[in-house]
Amino acid sequence: MAETVASIAALTRAAATTATAYRGRLLAGLLTTFFPLLLMAVWLTVVATSGPPRGWTAPDFISYYAAASLLWHLSGQNVIWQWDEDIRGGDFSIRLLRPVHPFWQYAANDLGQRLVMLGLAAPVFVAATLVLPQLGYHLTAVRLLATVVAVLLAYAVSITMASLVALLGFWSTQTTNLWMLWWGLGSFASGWIAPLEVMPGWLRSTAEWLPFRTTMGFPVELMTGRLSAAETAFGFAVGLGWLALFTVLYLVVWKPGVRRHQAVGG
Amino acid sequence: MAIDVDALVKRFFVNRRSPGLRSSIRHVLRPERHEVTALSGVSFRMTQGEIVGFLGPNGAGKTSLLKCLSGLLHPTEGSARVLGHVPHRREPAFLRQISLVMGQRNSLFWDLPALDAYEVNRTIYQIPRREYTESLDELVELLRLQSLLRKPVRVLSLGERMRCELAGALLHRPRVLFLDEPTLGLDVTAQSAVRSFLADYNRRYGATILLTSHYMADVTALASRVIVIDHGTLRFDGDLTTLTRRYADHRVVKVRLTERAPLGALDVDTVTDDGLTVSLRVSTDDVPAVAARVLAVLPVEDLSIEEPPIDEVVRAVFADG
Repeated sequence: MAETVASIAALTRAAATTATAYRGRLLAGLLTTFFPLLLMAVWLTVVATSGPPRGWTAPDFISYYAAASLLWHLSGQNVIWQWDEDIRGGDFSIRLLRPVHPFWQYAANDLGQRLVMLGLAAPVFVAATLVLPQLGYHLTAVRLLATVVAVLLAYAVSITMASLVALLGFWSTQTTNLWMLWWGLGSFASGWIAPLEVMPGWLRSTAEWLPFRTTMGFPVELMTGRLSAAETAFGFAVGLGWLALFTVLYLVVWKPGVRRHQAVGG
Repeated sequence: MAIDVDALVKRFFVNRRSPGLRSSIRHVLRPERHEVTALSGVSFRMTQGEIVGFLGPNGAGKTSLLKCLSGLLHPTEGSARVLGHVPHRREPAFLRQISLVMGQRNSLFWDLPALDAYEVNRTIYQIPRREYTESLDELVELLRLQSLLRKPVRVLSLGERMRCELAGALLHRPRVLFLDEPTLGLDVTAQSAVRSFLADYNRRYGATILLTSHYMADVTALASRVIVIDHGTLRFDGDLTTLTRRYADHRVVKVRLTERAPLGALDVDTVTDDGLTVSLRVSTDDVPAVAARVLAVLPVEDLSIEEPPIDEVVRAVFADG
């Protein structure tokens, strides 16, 4: 285990070094931080024209999507693109030859890039909370700790879920379209398109049991102080349940999957 | 025994379709899958420190065998053991003792200098710091890497990258080395440097080396034993001399003349004739008689009898099947 942790640390460091190799790429990546703010702009227009939906005011949407912009850089789902490219192009063989499970290699590669982006975006976010009164999160020590744990859980669930879908590449070769379908449907239940509180009741109650909310809505709701202790405990229980299920499924699917691996290319 | 392969079979299912849009649409509705046999009951053994050259035409199964032995592919039938491990289980203890170098694959980090990748290898292969420094210094010297280590891999030439790849693959001093076209695309000087480096590595560490190459010179320079494979079936396993004796039914008689002379009276195939130097293709049984006739009727300055080039012999092996 200690060897695996050391290997993950080394691979994460290399990925972070790669992420800083190109200034242009770094800047473009940083600019994507504002994607969630585009959805915020849509909802602010709705508030301005039709009044607050389900009591959500403009400052509510601003604080929600500002927090979401930080979560944008802490999603592990992007690993699927690298899995897909490697399995299809043959570079997966390079990963298999290293004495570290490919899951950890992809996770470390993603984490290194995420940490660099987060390192740049987080100070901007903190500065914004100090300057803009709408972003007063009023985090207590306990809530801050719970939010940090929820963010880690969000990352773990998103990366395990994406890696599980990536394993289907052993059967279908190409998995990114399947993932886009999965992610597209999930974006309604994650709190990405809209906060779950403003969604129809049936969707909200269904989404609370699905894994997508764990990856975004739950930590943001926690950070913005919208959850009671019971709701927080429920959110953690659902997230941990999905993490366990995805982990077990990953281990079950990995074995027959890698048996089918054709190690294409010379 | 370093490598023990017994009746190894590997079959794949591959999708196959004709080119063009119509065929592609038909394939979406009704995909055609065909079974391909890459390896068909291959058996052989290698002792520690042995170098074996693996010969065969494209698609013969050479790379599939290397992939089975390095744990990338699960065999369909049969068994393989490398250093006592079952390769496809890919136990970390096994992976830390082998290396597979593929001439067309990049295991370094494309955007970073090779040194960064070597540092990562140091950690994931658990190489003690002192041993790492020793290995690195040695590899840098032997492969002349000093000026390359701090450049991003993407700016290196193919030959430079291949040398860096080799160093990365050998930092942990693998006991078994699988090389798939290690000199592919390299110029003559770089090919020669890689060959002499591999021979030296084998001598120093007693590493077992199994290599495939389209360059026959790689095989003749490094391996005394060759395995010839065709359509997944082992066709020959033995030393180069035996291979030549068994499959070459002729010798090449090379003659240097003091002056130009007509060759018609010899009644043999002329391979090359540039006036003063002549190569004759002579049936093995006829060599003494032809040599005597040459000496009798031509103004000979020098005469030598040579075995045919190994690639010609290998072509004869495939033609024989």
